[in-house]
Amino acid sequence: MSSDSHALAGSHAPTGNDARTSGHDRTGGRGGSGRRAAAVGRHAVLLLAAFVMLFPLLWALSASFKPGSDIYNASPLPFPGTLENYRYALREFPIWRLLVNTFVTAIGVTLLHLVAGVLAAWSFVRFAHRGQRLVLGLVTVALVVPPQSLIIPHFLMISRLDLRDSFVGLVVPQLATCALAVLLLREHIKAIPPTLIAAATLDGASPAETLRQVVLPLLRPALGAVGIVVFITTWNEYLWPSLAAPSPEHTTIQMGLLLFATAEGPEHGPMLAAAMLATLPVVAAYFLASRRIADAFLQAGLR
Amino acid sequence: MSTLEAGASTLDARGHANRRVPAAAVRARLTPWAYQAPVLISLLVFVYGPLVFTAVLSLLDWDLVSPDKTFVGVDNYRRLVEEPEFPHALARTGLYVLALLPFATIVPMALAIMLWKRPGRASDNYRSLLFLPVVLAPVATALSWRFVLNPLGGVLNQVFGAVGLPEQDWLGDPDTALWAISLITSSRFVALNILLYGAALAALDRRAFDAARIDGATEWEITRHLVVPQLAGTTVLLSFLCVVFAGQWTFTNIAVLTQGGPDASTDNVYYRLYTYAFTFFDAGTGAAAAVLIVLILTALFGLSTLLRRRRVVG
Repeated sequence: MSSDSHALAGSHAPTGNDARTSGHDRTGGRGGSGRRAAAVGRHAVLLLAAFVMLFPLLWALSASFKPGSDIYNASPLPFPGTLENYRYALREFPIWRLLVNTFVTAIGVTLLHLVAGVLAAWSFVRFAHRGQRLVLGLVTVALVVPPQSLIIPHFLMISRLDLRDSFVGLVVPQLATCALAVLLLREHIKAIPPTLIAAATLDGASPAETLRQVVLPLLRPALGAVGIVVFITTWNEYLWPSLAAPSPEHTTIQMGLLLFATAEGPEHGPMLAAAMLATLPVVAAYFLASRRIADAFLQAGLR
Repeated sequence: MSTLEAGASTLDARGHANRRVPAAAVRARLTPWAYQAPVLISLLVFVYGPLVFTAVLSLLDWDLVSPDKTFVGVDNYRRLVEEPEFPHALARTGLYVLALLPFATIVPMALAIMLWKRPGRASDNYRSLLFLPVVLAPVATALSWRFVLNPLGGVLNQVFGAVGLPEQDWLGDPDTALWAISLITSSRFVALNILLYGAALAALDRRAFDAARIDGATEWEITRHLVVPQLAGTTVLLSFLCVVFAGQWTFTNIAVLTQGGPDASTDNVYYRLYTYAFTFFDAGTGAAAAVLIVLILTALFGLSTLLRRRRVVG
């Protein structure tokens, strides 16, 4: 675990180099052994927290390599291990199909949110038109409407239009949650120096040209961050795919995993192997860009 | 060039009643709406329209499929209030909030302070590791928990047996199931809120703490009397978010692990809404539940805004 965690910090510079030299190593006049005990205690608490939070997944990972007869074996490591569960899961669980479905869905939702979000955010900053307060209010209130309270009309809408088990039915109603992207992007556009925008306007650039030539290039990191948050949220969505795309060929990985687990019944090995296969791409992506992903959520959280 | 002029004339039109509206001015007035149209239409079609539709639906008796709907007035609401299920689900939602509140505040605050006190490579690594639960697939996580908590041979019961504690059917016993679901959901709260507390801590001025240290304050005193009070605003905000999201975030775990059972002990308002609509095909009662949930949330937001305003003024 520790080698992983070293790799994932990347080249990010620690946030307070100066602080470490300015008295942070002193622990109230205690001797060296006291300081070492405090450091050990700190690592113990942090490791324990990480362990408790990640334990079920680690345990499931280990168990997924155990043969069926051995799966409740209490040994933490899977010896002798087997790939049988994975072989079975890859045969019976349409993982590639589900991953592609999920990826395409998440990309679709992300693009819709970003395009709609940039246009609206830009108009909030660039134009002072009369309806602005009203529209902004509508966006803000939409942010707090729980998605679960909208499922009945959404479900009726796509059933009536015969869009169940379709890409459009899965993706388009998720525009309901675009308010977050709008408000985040608005903050980022507001942070662009107004003189830059004014200069472009004086040079005769239309709002569309200013957006394309001045705002979008500066907005690229923000678009990336907001995109990451929307993408991961959509990837992890379970409720809507379970209603909009209930069949295994059209659904996303979360719902597919649940369908597979239900079909397998009490047989845990293949279910755990499938769960690990579904988790792997996310964990890999996270370890490649953990800093960026965490920062993206931070910006979303501090809106 | 024409758009620039048009921009100027819109400003003009705001002041003076439009005496004569040239085509360019009309276009300029429409431009902002064109930019906002995608979002505005999305929200009207997928949020506000559905809310109105839900309100209408809540006055009907309908099974989602048959062509005949009957107008029943407030009968659905009366059912929700008079029959025990919805008040029960509301009470269970309250228990979820209480169970998750420490994991939204005290636990992530303590961990974030530990990380903040010693910045560096090790803390960055811990931070990355502790954030992982936010991005992990919730269904896979829930299934892993089901395996760990399995009453027959699950590792938790093996550990309990080994140290002489009674083994439990964690998710199958009405006395423990809600706490088990809360615990499973807690890691997401802890993970996200470590990050948010970390941001609040990064904004603090370290020099004040160094001064206190020079004056002989112990680390614990500094944390207790200087750091924690400055995090009060963040704590209030995160508590409020916990109240709002405890129900929403437990939903997937309930759906995957207990379906609201045993004895409805793990039910919450969102799962109840879902059950009315998609298990019993009682669209009217489900819609009435949705309306009540939105009203309760609106009241909570109103209250929090009022409280915040009073704190700013007073």
